[in-house]
Amino acid sequence: MLKVESLAFGFPGRTIGRDVSFALGAGEVMCVLGPNGGGKTTLFRTILGLLAAHDGKLLLDEKPLASLSRQEIARSIGYVPQGHTGYFAYTVRDFGLRGRTAHMGIFSTPSKKDFEVAERVLASLGMAHLAGRPITEVSGGERQLALVARALAQEPRLLVLDEPTASLDFGNQVRVLERIAGLARTGISILFSSHAPDHAFLCAQRALLLAEGRTLEIGTPREVIRADTLQRLYGVSVQVLPLAGGGHTCLPAIGK
Amino acid sequence: MNSRALTYVLAAGALLGLTALAFAVGRYPVSLGEIFSLLIAKVTGSSHSLPANVETVVMQVRGPRVLAALVVGAALAAAGTAYQGMFRNPLVSPDILGVSTGAALGAVLGIFFSQGIIFIQLFAFAGGLAAVGLVYWIGSRLRGHDPLLALVLTGVVIGTLLGSAIALLKYLADPYNQLPAITYWLLGSLASISPRDLGLAAPLALLGLAPMLLLRWRMNLLALPDDEARALGVDTRKLRTVVVTAATLMTAAAVAVSGIIGWVGLLIPHAARLLVGPDIGRLLPLAMLLGAAFLLAVDTLCRTIATIEVPPGVLTALIGTPFFLWLFALARRSW
Amino acid sequence: MRSLVFIALVFPSVCQSQATIVDASGREVRPPAKVERVYAAGPPAGLLVFAIAPDKLTGWTRAMRPNEAQFFAEKYAQLPELGRLTGRGNTANVEVVLKAKTDLIVDVGSTGATLASLASQVQEQTKIPYALFDGRIETTPAALRSLGRLMGNEGEAEKLAAWYENELKSARQRVTRVSSHPLVYYGRGVNGLQTGGSGSINVEILDFLGARNAAAEARTGLAAVSLEQVILWNPEVILTTDPNYWKTIWDDARWRGVKAVAAKRVYLSPNLPFGWFDFPPGANRLLGVWWAGKLLYPQAFGDVDLRAKVTEFHRLFYHREPTAAQLDAMLGEPGVSGK
Repeated sequence: MLKVESLAFGFPGRTIGRDVSFALGAGEVMCVLGPNGGGKTTLFRTILGLLAAHDGKLLLDEKPLASLSRQEIARSIGYVPQGHTGYFAYTVRDFGLRGRTAHMGIFSTPSKKDFEVAERVLASLGMAHLAGRPITEVSGGERQLALVARALAQEPRLLVLDEPTASLDFGNQVRVLERIAGLARTGISILFSSHAPDHAFLCAQRALLLAEGRTLEIGTPREVIRADTLQRLYGVSVQVLPLAGGGHTCLPAIGK
Repeated sequence: MNSRALTYVLAAGALLGLTALAFAVGRYPVSLGEIFSLLIAKVTGSSHSLPANVETVVMQVRGPRVLAALVVGAALAAAGTAYQGMFRNPLVSPDILGVSTGAALGAVLGIFFSQGIIFIQLFAFAGGLAAVGLVYWIGSRLRGHDPLLALVLTGVVIGTLLGSAIALLKYLADPYNQLPAITYWLLGSLASISPRDLGLAAPLALLGLAPMLLLRWRMNLLALPDDEARALGVDTRKLRTVVVTAATLMTAAAVAVSGIIGWVGLLIPHAARLLVGPDIGRLLPLAMLLGAAFLLAVDTLCRTIATIEVPPGVLTALIGTPFFLWLFALARRSW
Repeated sequence: MRSLVFIALVFPSVCQSQATIVDASGREVRPPAKVERVYAAGPPAGLLVFAIAPDKLTGWTRAMRPNEAQFFAEKYAQLPELGRLTGRGNTANVEVVLKAKTDLIVDVGSTGATLASLASQVQEQTKIPYALFDGRIETTPAALRSLGRLMGNEGEAEKLAAWYENELKSARQRVTRVSSHPLVYYGRGVNGLQTGGSGSINVEILDFLGARNAAAEARTGLAAVSLEQVILWNPEVILTTDPNYWKTIWDDARWRGVKAVAAKRVYLSPNLPFGWFDFPPGANRLLGVWWAGKLLYPQAFGDVDLRAKVTEFHRLFYHREPTAAQLDAMLGEPGVSGK
């Protein structure tokens, strides 16, 4: 449903990436890996339409993204940013309701249906018991999930998550990754970035290695995540080891 | 009825009660019976046997003043609520973009050049609009910065500049005649509200309040980082422009007829937030009710506790400051 | 006593008055040997200095506008603008005062502790004697006399003081013959809702004339009142100094019920070159006494020739009689004698 062809992206007056191409179908999960400052967030912001593309094509369901209004985009793509410290103590329910904006009229307040969708989404993430809690009083992991809930309330077909596990403890990281895998099974396309190549192995069908704004490699995690590519990407030496039950994991070589 | 709905009902009830009380009290003694028969006569179009001065006091003097207090209080509270959400800062007042300072400069210029009331009010209104227009224009031209930060900084800078122009005018003004007039205007007062003032200020205030009420839920999204709000489907720039325009319109209209009355725009949103939470969809109507009630209560005190008028800004600060500190101590968490 | 003063005038070098005088704030001021140039720190002070010895005034605190200048001889109207020195706002540079080779600084107005200490401070700084005087009408003769002694112009000052005393006495006598005292409200400002309580210098004329100040219960000094309060007081006469207020009151439905408006007894005080009522708070308000007296007590003050009074005052204090046309313009201004 998402087609990216030779996309060049960056800030007004400064292109920081080019020649990125891939296609994402329904239910597919792609993980973007790369060092800090390599262009992951800028790429995502361009795909979300928050930044104008510098060159190339960006198509959502065959329609150029630039031709869609903010509201139309919001009905199709949900954005889950990195951990969020709110200023005001909105309830988790209110927080999730913000995702319904794309489906509401400009002068509307949330309808019964909007409340139902929000509650349903919270329940699906195991957060129903937190609906009335102020967002400023929940844990980091719960806050990240609230962000996911908000994006899901948009009823999107594509979910873009920017380093969703960045500030989470191990347990929460696992839970979030599980949710991502679960969501893909419901038919939502998922595009997420991570700082840990292992996450690609855990829940992505494809991985895109992004270095200095250029595609280093793109393909299945098994194909592209190798010791040499990781060396090129992060400048450290890492072993990619196969696991007994299938799957792989990365083991950095730390000098003793 | 859940507790939130109850809060609204109580607030509306309190407001109605206060309004009735405000009509009933004042330096000129008017009994409840007299007010009642006067209102009946007005509504049915029949004549009444009350002395002419009673009708003048109730319909021409007290009535417009009470209604103006409601309008100004609601407008200031609404503007404060909107801005506190928009700038993600609970310490923001409606004057953050300079509307009050601009209006003050306009009025001071009018007094300095010995103009009549109509021109003073016109200059004040125009001054308020012009100040925000200038701040908005400059702020939006500052590229490469967080748009909100650019607005706030420009607002502070321009506000300071206009403030120093006011200081200069006070300095140059005739100390026996103009300076006291300027001082009184800057202290704010609803004492000279005429039916004409109300007829001009109320529609303008409503012109600002209406879009705000309609957009109140959407304004919540302005509290999010810009990227997130846009990704959720909101044209943040347009929404901000509408909110600022509406807030400026109603605040400039309020200041033009009542001078500078502080604390209402800063304090009332907090009080309302403590009662119904920070979601602007629920907060805004309550803030308006509370703002109207607060200013009405204050103004009623201002015109009844002594022979001379007490400036409302003094009372709102005297009552508001300890109340604000108490609220702050009460709130265990962030806003 | 008179002959001594006369000798002192004729032989200044022989008879220098080294005796200090005590100014109205209680400070002792030693007059300089010779006073040729006097700096007046405000309009009421300028008025007194100018009246006594116009050539000794170094300048006005604010340059004269054309409509004020017309009442003075050109060389006086064109005196330099020197700014105010202390009190309500400080626009003069002390250096400017020094540069103007001032021998004496005079201020007329409040004589409280703050201004007295300010005066002493400036006196220390500049080594120029600084005298403070009261601007009240009743103390004007005494102020004239003291100032005359300081300036070395006792003769001229005595003439003015005696005349002024006489005028006040004559006015007081007429007041005793008054049978009915109307309730008067003084409305300042563009909406007429600032006034002065009894004892305020703003309504000194009303107190002097024994008029009943509607706002007597308000605080001494400037006070803001509500329209409701004024309607309650229901004054029979309204005096004002704001032409905008005078103009708009007739069309304002809220004021219509007030006795003074219904009887069309709302009057606007003339204000050129120095105001007749309230401000500037100085000797100039003698004319206000006659003007208000005639309006409040038409019988007792009926035979007062206002034109003659104005002419005489201008001659003595401004050293120039107004022309008939100027008198017509001043007294014919809408509001001065009623609607």
